[in-house]
Amino acid sequence: MANLGRLDWYDIARNTNWQPTYVQEDELFPPQMSGSMGIPLPEWESYDEPYKQTYPEYVKIQREKDAGAYSVKAALERSNMFENADPGWLSVLKAHFGAIARAEYSASTAEARMARFGKAPGMRNMATMGMLDEIRHGQIQLYFPHEYCPKDRQFDWAHKAYDTNEWAILASRHMFDDMMTTRGAVDTALMLTFAFETGFTNMQFLGLAADAAEAGDWTFSNLISSVQTDESRHAQIGAPLVAILIKNGKKAEAQKMVDIGIWRAWKLFSVLTGPMMDYYTPLEHRKQSFKEFMEEWIVTQFERSLIDLGLDKPWFWDQFLEELNYQHHGMHLGVWYWRSTVWWNPAAGVSPEERTWLEEKYPGWNATWGTNWDVITDNLLAGKRELSYPETLPVVCNMCQLPINATPGPTWKVRDFPLDYKGRTYHFCSEGCQWCFEQEPERYKDHLSLIDRFLAGMVQPMNLAGGLQYMALAPGEIGDDAHNYAWVEKIRAARQKAAA
Amino acid sequence: MSTAAEVSQNNNVGPVMRQGELAQAVVEAAEIDNPDKIIKVEDKVAYLRIQTSDEMILKRQTIEEMLGRPFSMSEIEIELASFAGRIDTQVEYIRFYHAKHL
Repeated sequence: MANLGRLDWYDIARNTNWQPTYVQEDELFPPQMSGSMGIPLPEWESYDEPYKQTYPEYVKIQREKDAGAYSVKAALERSNMFENADPGWLSVLKAHFGAIARAEYSASTAEARMARFGKAPGMRNMATMGMLDEIRHGQIQLYFPHEYCPKDRQFDWAHKAYDTNEWAILASRHMFDDMMTTRGAVDTALMLTFAFETGFTNMQFLGLAADAAEAGDWTFSNLISSVQTDESRHAQIGAPLVAILIKNGKKAEAQKMVDIGIWRAWKLFSVLTGPMMDYYTPLEHRKQSFKEFMEEWIVTQFERSLIDLGLDKPWFWDQFLEELNYQHHGMHLGVWYWRSTVWWNPAAGVSPEERTWLEEKYPGWNATWGTNWDVITDNLLAGKRELSYPETLPVVCNMCQLPINATPGPTWKVRDFPLDYKGRTYHFCSEGCQWCFEQEPERYKDHLSLIDRFLAGMVQPMNLAGGLQYMALAPGEIGDDAHNYAWVEKIRAARQKAAA
Repeated sequence: MSTAAEVSQNNNVGPVMRQGELAQAVVEAAEIDNPDKIIKVEDKVAYLRIQTSDEMILKRQTIEEMLGRPFSMSEIEIELASFAGRIDTQVEYIRFYHAKHL
């Protein structure tokens, strides 16, 4: 039997639009689910996906990818990576798997929505494979950490995290539910596949893979970069969609969803990926700084492709570039300070050599963030560890759900962006988060931040113990300094040497 | 050193390949299939960023010759972790490009 070349039959095979006779078009594709903005069906049929793949190819290639990832894992299982790894690196793994693995299933439902309700046949074809990709990502990122559970029960949070009201998960869930589980096919494609997957997932799955390779964790490096090969394909769902929206006079709508997606992703990455790259990854294994990875992936690569497709830089671009210098330093300080409220052990990352590195990568770090760490360090040196724990709660943003913070120094830069809406005052960390809220206040208005819940008496008793219980952090899971404060002794030795 | 505001003003295109045999074959193919272009390779240990300006073509047959074994173009996906620019996937070649030159 003669075989036709793929491109000789691809378009016909995936062109599954037909004229419905028993139902109306809007019943087959409810506008709320398709989110098609009134663009007529023939326009959707012009959708031309750039990354074409057929199902037989998909199965063959995915099989090879999995064979590769699982065989690397099997080969290295006796390498004692876990036993030999720096505790800071293990914290990277714990935070990653907890915040990511179960969110992949949400991503799968998002792809399923595009596969069913996308009006463009090409989108449905790509999303069908995207849906299977995300199931793979959920399963593989639960399976890999599972072997560590008997050694360290914080790894149990790879599966448990999304069933809790732990604060970092509240933040992650708020963002992922916004872009993955609660929007029609078009908005989901713009926010998830375009803004998030062609942009930000590269940071977490390739930037971090570079650090992992440097740290000698080839299992993890291979796993996450393999995940990104799937993303690289199905993320292309967004590009032809943008072309259709612009052609049909919907550029402003497309731009808005992309902008919301970028801003929201940035905030979550500032608390998750920033501390991992600049503080938890052992100094000698840091391939680049978080800011340098952001410049490589988001500014140089993603922003450039956004412009090429006919969209504009987001209105907040200058503010975003400015925040690359500081936002994650504040997030890290907060995570370490409130360390008993996370499921991993944050590495302080402020030994003398690490501070030199931070100063080099972020000029002015010592004179700003460094002064806060000076106070913490001095208290620890004086044996007053109790002073290195918080006695109050942070003010949390009602959009990103993260503590409102800014660079410390002689001027007070922390600014709250308050907004009154229907009798409730909301607090935001930035113009960007306030703007996201104002685009769709009805969508967001009823959500309660962890602090709102505390003040409403939903967290009982109203103390740390009650808070930990509310967040489902059990003994043995509660975070503490990754290195058990060994870095403080290094500073003591350095100071004694300098004094002698 | 360029500032962050300037770095999006670039015309870089090309694949980001996971390290390994295929990545090396793609580097060689990029040189052969784009003879008039300067190919830049950045080694990030876990991945190779293989880039040129405006447009890069990679032919299936060239990669096959560099690998020394049969290769179908869609197999590039096994190691293609990301890419700069837009993508055009064909049976006999793959192309990375920008529609607009900045």
